[in-house]
Amino acid sequence: MTIRHPQIDQFNRRRFLGTMAAGAGTVAADMTVLNVLKNPAFAEELKRQQKSVILLWLAGGASQFETWDPKPGRPTGGPFGKIATNQSGVEISELLPKMAQQMETTALIRSLNTKIADHGGGFSLMGTGRRPEAGIEFPDLGAIIARELGRKESKVPDYVSIYSSTEGRRNGTSGFLGGRYAPMFLTQDVIPPNLSRLEQVSDLDHVQRAELRQLLTDRFQSKRQSLVVSSQTSAYERVRGLMSSERLFDVEEESSSMRAFYGPTQFQQQCLIARRLVEAGVPFVKVARAWWDSHGQNFETHRELCADLDQGMSALLTDLEQRGLLENTLVITLGEFGRTPGINPSLGRDHFASAWSCSLSGCGIKGGTVYGKTDPDGNTVADGEVGAGHLFATIFSALGIDWQKEYHQGSRPIPITDFGCEPIKDVLA
Amino acid sequence: MMTNIDPSTLKKQKDYGTPGVNFCMARRPESATLFVGNSDFKVHQFDASAEKPELKPIAEDGHNSYVTGAALVGPTLVTGAYDKQLIWWSTVNNSVVRKVSAHELWIRNVIASPDGSYVVSVADDMQAHLWSVSDGKKIRTLSGHDEQTPHGYPSMLYAVTISADGKFIATGDKVGRVIVWEADTGKQVGEVETPVMYTWDPKARRHSIGGIRSLAFSADGKQIAVGGIGKIGNIDHLGGPHRIEVFDWQTKERKHEIENDNFKGLVEQLQFSPDGTWLAAAGGDHGGFVSFYNMEDGKEIKTEKAPMHVHEMSFSEDYRTLYTVGHGKIVVWELQGELEPLVAPRT
Repeated sequence: MTIRHPQIDQFNRRRFLGTMAAGAGTVAADMTVLNVLKNPAFAEELKRQQKSVILLWLAGGASQFETWDPKPGRPTGGPFGKIATNQSGVEISELLPKMAQQMETTALIRSLNTKIADHGGGFSLMGTGRRPEAGIEFPDLGAIIARELGRKESKVPDYVSIYSSTEGRRNGTSGFLGGRYAPMFLTQDVIPPNLSRLEQVSDLDHVQRAELRQLLTDRFQSKRQSLVVSSQTSAYERVRGLMSSERLFDVEEESSSMRAFYGPTQFQQQCLIARRLVEAGVPFVKVARAWWDSHGQNFETHRELCADLDQGMSALLTDLEQRGLLENTLVITLGEFGRTPGINPSLGRDHFASAWSCSLSGCGIKGGTVYGKTDPDGNTVADGEVGAGHLFATIFSALGIDWQKEYHQGSRPIPITDFGCEPIKDVLA
Repeated sequence: MMTNIDPSTLKKQKDYGTPGVNFCMARRPESATLFVGNSDFKVHQFDASAEKPELKPIAEDGHNSYVTGAALVGPTLVTGAYDKQLIWWSTVNNSVVRKVSAHELWIRNVIASPDGSYVVSVADDMQAHLWSVSDGKKIRTLSGHDEQTPHGYPSMLYAVTISADGKFIATGDKVGRVIVWEADTGKQVGEVETPVMYTWDPKARRHSIGGIRSLAFSADGKQIAVGGIGKIGNIDHLGGPHRIEVFDWQTKERKHEIENDNFKGLVEQLQFSPDGTWLAAAGGDHGGFVSFYNMEDGKEIKTEKAPMHVHEMSFSEDYRTLYTVGHGKIVVWELQGELEPLVAPRT
């Protein structure tokens, strides 16, 4: 059954056929799906079946004092105060006033002790959920989510990573899961390169070639079964799907009011792109906001960057909720580490991994909760100490992924959650 | 009339460690008594002439955040803080006279007019307000700085100064814009730009640093000195030269462009000598400095390394003593020269 929608016909030349069998729910995923989603039944089906993750990567290490775990009045607290949120008993930094009004879908974890306080090591640890081990390349969160939530026939990328600034830019890794789950890594431009058809090939040529290919393939396969042909067809469809997904990355496709709702900055517009991608069925989207590494002028830097985060994140959560997507989308804020309680003479904070925070919103999360506690000055975890592995187990659980699942490298079982770590049940719905 | 204080004789005299960060100071005239605003949210009294000076809070309660501005007029002390409040204190009995919710966002500085009739506060709501010292009423608002930087982020209004004759007020913001106002009317009468003091990194880190942190009129009111930091490569740190630009603000002619790469960081304080022959500057990054520059040719006369990032300074009436407060320290310096006080220094 082909989904027909008046607006799809406008884009007939670039439209790819998608199939939605009743009950199977395979999603036709290209730019037209955004119009198709206006069909309530289709949206409902998508909502039911597709879970996604949006990771807002606060590259460089955001300060927990100036975000999720303020300590006003303490020698380490800095000048900013705390504000009440719409969840009784939960207070966050006054630099996040918009988020303070929508904490009902967000849980905070304030008790991360991850011990690694250099950018490279922190990126690796918080990317894979475990320390590196010789002889094995662990896949990162995005690759695991792509593997667990991606669809074989999907015509959209499974893992998109947007990192536009140059500082601290590191690509994700699919590790031993292989190239199929590697990220589409967008740096210079959020529109992926090399997806457009060649200029020498006209729209008509492109469509006619595809139709001819389909005709010949169907004829061949009508008389014989071939795994090779099937695999090649699948790969070809995937590439064509990826080509048509180019428009998913184009915020110009959104109304000016929607773009204004998210805000004008690069990060805020990339949050909008993230929504478009998960709406089209991309299981994992990472949007990096660099660079929080405020060794000097920490308070000035957080005034700027928190304003960016507050607007972008609150718009994203609101938009996802209004589209019925938030219950199936997990939004995470995380970085390599937090920042020191001590304030240096340049009024900066340095790297600190002993007691810091992250947030989880949406899918599978008990909103309005706070897990863990730091001491009054934020020097140590006072209660509920967790590490990267616990966080990853929690993320998997929230998404309905078996956190005790094992992959295998040869005969060696490799659990997707680091040894000895379990989900943080207090933040799970 | 000439001041024959020799800046090249600057020498550290005494060095006192204190808790926290000392952001601002107001000195009682003809004394070594300082009222210091600290990161512990308190206003302290510090008697630099005592045998063992130490910070003593004038009250346990007061502000609810970093105290960033202090102005003393007779026995009345007016302080401002990141809690957006101004507090009037009586220094006779160290009591609160009044608290005013003065701004929408964090207050960056408070100074007093030369005649002591009003104080000016500047804050990140990008407003400067004039307040009556005697009754705390708002006299006027100076509004003209943009709330956002050109890159769409919240801006800050860090600096303010008043000319010695009280006629003009100047304010300076994060993106390098100075506005000169007529004090009596609030009318904008001049503007100069120092865009180099604002570094926006569009590529590596995508945020900004810097801004105008200090301003000073020359004694004749014709020149204005603007202090900040030069262009920074890595904006994770204050790794740029300290930078001063001096203008004839009415013609907008830039008289001097000074950068000192040997002593990096922000210029937090500026003050002209009474005869305008030199300019004192203080500030820092992880460390600190006190510098003097010749206002004939813009050349450095002397820089001494300070043992801390300096946030505020105050000369004694005879200019032979310089008090500086900053990160974890209060330092007293001495200068040599003939005793020829001309104009009461800013306290």
